Amino acid sequence: MKALVSAGLGLLLSMGLVGGVLAEGVTDEHAAHATSEAPRARPPENATPEEKRAFYQKRAAERAKAEAAGEPVAPRPSEAQIAEWRAKREAREAPAGAPAADDHGHGATPAKGRGESGTSKSAQDKATPDKAAAKPEEAARGSGRSAGMGMRGAGGAIWLSDSPPSRGDASARGGMGGMSGMGGMAMGGERSGPPSKRLWLRAGNDPQKSGFAREDAEAESETLLVRPQGPLAGETLPPLADGKKNLAFEMPVQGYYRVYASSRKLQGETLNVSVAKAEIANFSHGGDEEERAQALTAPRILESAPIEIVREKAPDEKMFFQLKSGDEQAFVVLQKGLPVQGARVRFVSHEGWSKEAVSDEQGRVSFQVIRDYFPAWDDFKKRFKASYLIIAEANAAEKGVFKDQPYSNVRYQATLAGSYYPSPDDYRSYAWGLGIGLLIVLFCGSAVYLYRRRRVKPFQEVRFDER
Amino acid sequence: MSAKPVLQKVRDAVNEVDFNRFRFWFQLVAFVLFVYGGYLAIDLGSKLPFFSCGYNQEGRAGVCYLLPLQHQLGRNWAVLFSIASLSILTGFLGFALWFIVLNKGWCGFVCPLGTLQDWISALRRRLGIRFSNYTHGQFAQLTKIKFVLLALIILIPLGVGGGFFSHDMSPPFCLICPARMILPIFTGDLSQFTIDFSSKTAVAMTALGISVTALFLVGSFVKKRFFCFFCPMSALHYLISKPALLKLKKDGSKCTRCGDCYAVCDMEIKEIADDVTTTNIMTDDCTLCLKCVASCPETGALKATFAGIPIFVSTEAGFIKRMNKGCQHGK
Repeated sequence: MKALVSAGLGLLLSMGLVGGVLAEGVTDEHAAHATSEAPRARPPENATPEEKRAFYQKRAAERAKAEAAGEPVAPRPSEAQIAEWRAKREAREAPAGAPAADDHGHGATPAKGRGESGTSKSAQDKATPDKAAAKPEEAARGSGRSAGMGMRGAGGAIWLSDSPPSRGDASARGGMGGMSGMGGMAMGGERSGPPSKRLWLRAGNDPQKSGFAREDAEAESETLLVRPQGPLAGETLPPLADGKKNLAFEMPVQGYYRVYASSRKLQGETLNVSVAKAEIANFSHGGDEEERAQALTAPRILESAPIEIVREKAPDEKMFFQLKSGDEQAFVVLQKGLPVQGARVRFVSHEGWSKEAVSDEQGRVSFQVIRDYFPAWDDFKKRFKASYLIIAEANAAEKGVFKDQPYSNVRYQATLAGSYYPSPDDYRSYAWGLGIGLLIVLFCGSAVYLYRRRRVKPFQEVRFDER
Repeated sequence: MSAKPVLQKVRDAVNEVDFNRFRFWFQLVAFVLFVYGGYLAIDLGSKLPFFSCGYNQEGRAGVCYLLPLQHQLGRNWAVLFSIASLSILTGFLGFALWFIVLNKGWCGFVCPLGTLQDWISALRRRLGIRFSNYTHGQFAQLTKIKFVLLALIILIPLGVGGGFFSHDMSPPFCLICPARMILPIFTGDLSQFTIDFSSKTAVAMTALGISVTALFLVGSFVKKRFFCFFCPMSALHYLISKPALLKLKKDGSKCTRCGDCYAVCDMEIKEIADDVTTTNIMTDDCTLCLKCVASCPETGALKATFAGIPIFVSTEAGFIKRMNKGCQHGK
């Protein structure tokens, strides 16, 4: 029924009978923004994430089939349309009292509201930058421009993710949808080929709400891939172009693969330098043990990177490491391989909670990963993969020339995304385990004892009269 | 001067060895190696034919083959029935190469869980508590359980890979194996003694695992080598034991059916005393502990051979020497 209503509204809009004002009240944003085309089919409102995924896969297959056959297909919504929908949705979803999203749809705005209340106990950790050292994204907002440098998108930092943005379906977020969709993770690659990995460049300060980053013609971009046994300086990957949203590469050997998507852009007298980094651990039980041992101890920094964040490995960390809620995780901010003191580093959790700290003289900063996965118990998944985002920012009074334009200072921004899982302490119980074990030991022990006692025949003396 | 050949001297020394003491120390060294060897960076791979538990993450010196086998069989069917599953065959080959050396001697001399059962039995003996036996009827029925478990080890992971069972059931045998809970304790890891409440299947499997462990502790206390009777690894061993190098041989013409071998057998294998026709006397329940050889008073009636070469033979002199030392066989 709802689909019919949506379709009717879409038709009305396409006929120009209602204006944009009315569109604000439409609940189904996709139908509301359909223009001259027939509204695109949508899964039922009460569909499960799996059903929705199957629906979209089927629709994509049909579209591909139709395109291959040369049949007319409904055009995809443009990036501008998607950004507009997202901004409106976020404005609707913003909690009361929280500032509404700006024109760029800064997904971090409501998240920041949550984060600040959540971090009040550790206010000493929070950086208090003065106006001169205002955060780059704030400056960018002030000027009405995206802080994403080189790439633009929904606003906020540019970062590399192993999953595409969610489909704007609020019900999918927070559950097994969103980051855990793994639609393009493609670990394993072709059946007979080496494993492969796909990464998406996204823009925003919230792991769930960030959209695709968009190309910026004014920026100078470069993407480097550093393979475990490849050159330390990395190899250049072809830039994302022609609407391509992700980059993919094969991982034929074991070890840490690192991707650096860097960009430079001049804004006034400030050169914005951003480096979005992704680190992928590719290990398996089999294979060459020496190769694996080398990979575990190999350096994980790029000395030519203008800025980067390195996740600090624990001394006893194994190759199949998983960060859990409640764990303490340290990061190091480096510039050209050297530690950066005083960089503002922000940790953003899967649900958008954030905390900020300042790096010490070793460029090190540490965060405790909070627990922010609270589904209904029947929906709890112990393998739920949540994403975190680290954003590091630093300013420097460096002068130079970029594209024949002088600049007097440089604003550095580095990002690193990762994942974490629910802590076993959340769903495992020693009390029950030991209790059940003890109960069975006592029960079985008593049963054996009583069984044996029952079979013991009482001593009966028999006296013979020998006379 | 008629000196015995050196080789004969060595053979006599071996045949007259204080077997219980030798086995105790061998088992102790093997236990330390496979429970704490990881701290010395010893890693013998993941194809070991005994319970060197993979859940003992810090101390293990290798991993029991059943763990990777179940993981491999639990793959998505599209992967399982592809060229990628060649690794299952190569893995099995690695396991078979390990196994072929000691046959079921891995159970009797090396398996840490078997050693633990022997230690629990020794504790019972010291406390003066008698052990239990199965009746012949019970024995005949219970001996089939290990083959059923072996079949489930293969079928359940296949069902998981095919989407018929929850992933929380994988690896099914490890989840109910007492080694998963008991061996990590020796390196201070009690984390396996928990009930997993993340799903109904996980609750059921972890509760079942703890129940089996509790039964293991009580059972081992009253019954020698209680768990070995149900061990699917033992069933797997038996199925591929034909080409193994270590064998237990019997010469029925020299056997007087005195029953000493049956009396000392932890597994209560009656055929060891009664069967005077079979040469290769190892049965599916045998752990090749060789206590029967040590307790046999008839020279040459029982012997252990390695690649056809006798390495430990029953002798009258050896029997008398061990009896005089007050061996505690059969208690």
